[in-house]
Amino acid sequence: MLLLDYQNVLIQSILTERFSGAPPQSIDQVVSDFDGVTFHISTPQSKSQILISLSIKCYKELVKYGAEQVLQREYGSYITNPEPGYDFSILVNLDNLPQSQEERSELVQHIALLKRNVMAAPFEKAFDEFGQLAEEASKYTSESAPQGMKEGGEVMSVHYRDEEAIYIKASHDRVTVIFSTIFRDETDRIFGKVFLQEFVDARRRAIQNAPQVLFRSDAPLELQGMKGVGKTGEKGEVGYITFVLFPRHLTPQRRAENISHIQTFRDYFHYHIKASKAYIHSRMRRRTADFLQVLNRARPENEEKERKTASGRTFRVQG
Amino acid sequence: MDSAASRPAVVIDNGTGYTKMGFAGNVEPCFIVPTVVAVNESFQNQSRSSSKSSNWLAQHSAGVMADLDFYIGDDAHARSRSSSIYNLTYPIKHGQVENWDAMERFWQHCIFNYLRCDPEDHYFLLTESPLTAPESREYTGEIMFETFNVPGLYIAVQPVLALAAGYTTSKCEMTGVVVDVGDGATHVVPVADGYVIGSSIKSIPISGKDVTLYIQQLMRERGEHVPPEDSFEVARKVKETYCYTCSDIVKEFNKHDKEPAKYIKQWKGVKPKTGAPYTCDIGYERFLGPEVFFNPEIYSSDFTSPLPVVIDKCIQSAPIDTRRALYKNIVLSGGSTMFKDFHRRLQRDLKKIVDARVLASDARLGGELKAQPVEVNVVSHPIQKFAVWFGGSVLGSTPEFFEACHTKAEYEEYGASICRTNPVFKGMY
Repeated sequence: MLLLDYQNVLIQSILTERFSGAPPQSIDQVVSDFDGVTFHISTPQSKSQILISLSIKCYKELVKYGAEQVLQREYGSYITNPEPGYDFSILVNLDNLPQSQEERSELVQHIALLKRNVMAAPFEKAFDEFGQLAEEASKYTSESAPQGMKEGGEVMSVHYRDEEAIYIKASHDRVTVIFSTIFRDETDRIFGKVFLQEFVDARRRAIQNAPQVLFRSDAPLELQGMKGVGKTGEKGEVGYITFVLFPRHLTPQRRAENISHIQTFRDYFHYHIKASKAYIHSRMRRRTADFLQVLNRARPENEEKERKTASGRTFRVQG
Repeated sequence: MDSAASRPAVVIDNGTGYTKMGFAGNVEPCFIVPTVVAVNESFQNQSRSSSKSSNWLAQHSAGVMADLDFYIGDDAHARSRSSSIYNLTYPIKHGQVENWDAMERFWQHCIFNYLRCDPEDHYFLLTESPLTAPESREYTGEIMFETFNVPGLYIAVQPVLALAAGYTTSKCEMTGVVVDVGDGATHVVPVADGYVIGSSIKSIPISGKDVTLYIQQLMRERGEHVPPEDSFEVARKVKETYCYTCSDIVKEFNKHDKEPAKYIKQWKGVKPKTGAPYTCDIGYERFLGPEVFFNPEIYSSDFTSPLPVVIDKCIQSAPIDTRRALYKNIVLSGGSTMFKDFHRRLQRDLKKIVDARVLASDARLGGELKAQPVEVNVVSHPIQKFAVWFGGSVLGSTPEFFEACHTKAEYEEYGASICRTNPVFKGMY
């Protein structure tokens, strides 16, 4: 399992079961997802009406970048008033489902991707902005471009975790996505560095189409002067990972997949740090077992034991 | 740290047969999956002989990463059936973790793929059987803190959690006997005020799997047409859907013989190899299966003490001032206690033994002193299938839980030995 799934497995399994025509049951489950997202699946009014609510830390910021439009587009008629304590809710009526099996499983898949779709808003906005800027820029040559053309749009920041954020910036020839990430653990930091170095090298070695990845422990120039970002040259626990997406990543066919991919980056990253630790542990265990085998083999073959007669006298073998 | 305490704790109950996992505060676990890992070992075995680079290349061109190429739960079963490169490993045997490699991977998948949470963000509540060695608790702690960087960990004893599951159904009583009949192990564990009385734990070599094996044997001997490769699965399904506990075997045999139409069920299945449908009858095994707990001699000659006798012995070996309380609160837990009327039969048989003893003692005293009757009460509730998990969920949602946890800072200060003991905390009362 190289990549993490984008959808929430629990929502998927619950809804698949409910949609398959099983007798309605009351549900009341609070589940977490990555990045502190909380889902609440419940049947408040009747057993055939399933309410799925989502709470996400940075909902206000996401709304600013057009989350509501994206959600409107994705879920349309299913949207209802958000449940108290949550940011966004959809209501599915079991008596009113699409008829065919394919449509139903598609709907399940769609709802399971709720978190992905909420988070997609700033990316979509940036990609659209890139399109506009690119069009404008094509009117000018690089010399005659007016001031401000090169810098591109404003930096959108999404503080999706307590101390970590995603910064997205569109320019006329690229979209830059910067993750700030924090390592509390010493070992994790080292693993993270090796891992990211591999990212940088992979592009150099084999996969030329990959987006450019940069890693640095001080804030990149794009983020200068932003709230909560340290000055360049200041080193701390925070690391900044920059992805540069080029036009070939931003084509309409690839867009949706790229958004999914890049969103899960942080979780993917941490997942792999943990997976490599598990791998190292398993190698350590195997090595210990090997050493133990060697030790056991190293026992002298027939140990000379002192033998005694019943009365306590000893024998000595005559050489 | 504090942000982690505001999120629900993750509760994972690893059993021999099934793993129950979910978030604290919920009524039922998010996932119940078989505790099994399917590992692709085709690359692991090569690594010694061939040089490193070619091995890497071979893996790369095959499109797999050997250490990430594994599945757990139902996926594991499906994978091992469809292709031969995956080997099934069961990390837990008889309630004890045997294969730590597989266990670590299992947890990894549980956390990242099923529960989808960052382990650094949540406190964890894990469970262990009452007979687990302190070393294995340390090992669990090492994995959780080193690999997953969990902020806090609590390792609870399964029977204690099963007792705590009664929290909502009745007034909470942390003294009682837990009869835990799982797939791989059966334990009778007395608990007094939240502490397990270790010296009185009794184990029985008969568990859910033996019931399945016995049903399989009965059906085979009667000559039902079940394909051999499928017979264990069919027996398991029969056990889960049709079995019940009877009050008297002889009467039950008569009932079946008089009205076969009412009692004998039909099982319909499809042969896995040819796809041809088949049917078979289910007769006496409906009540004979669960009967192995009450009359073990019908199944094996090695072990012949019935479950009620074992429970009685267990309570008799406990400290004398706890015995009345223990008789009063006998809690069932585990999937194999789900047979209909199991608790009634248990209560009746146990009551018989206890009353006989009281009567004998009265007779000895010559009627001068009357002993107070002993109250025997077997508690059954609908969630006993995952009572341990539910207990964990209840405890994990109390504010005291977070204080009782071992934190990462403590682990780094003192080492894995802190995981050896886990305090009983206030939320349990």
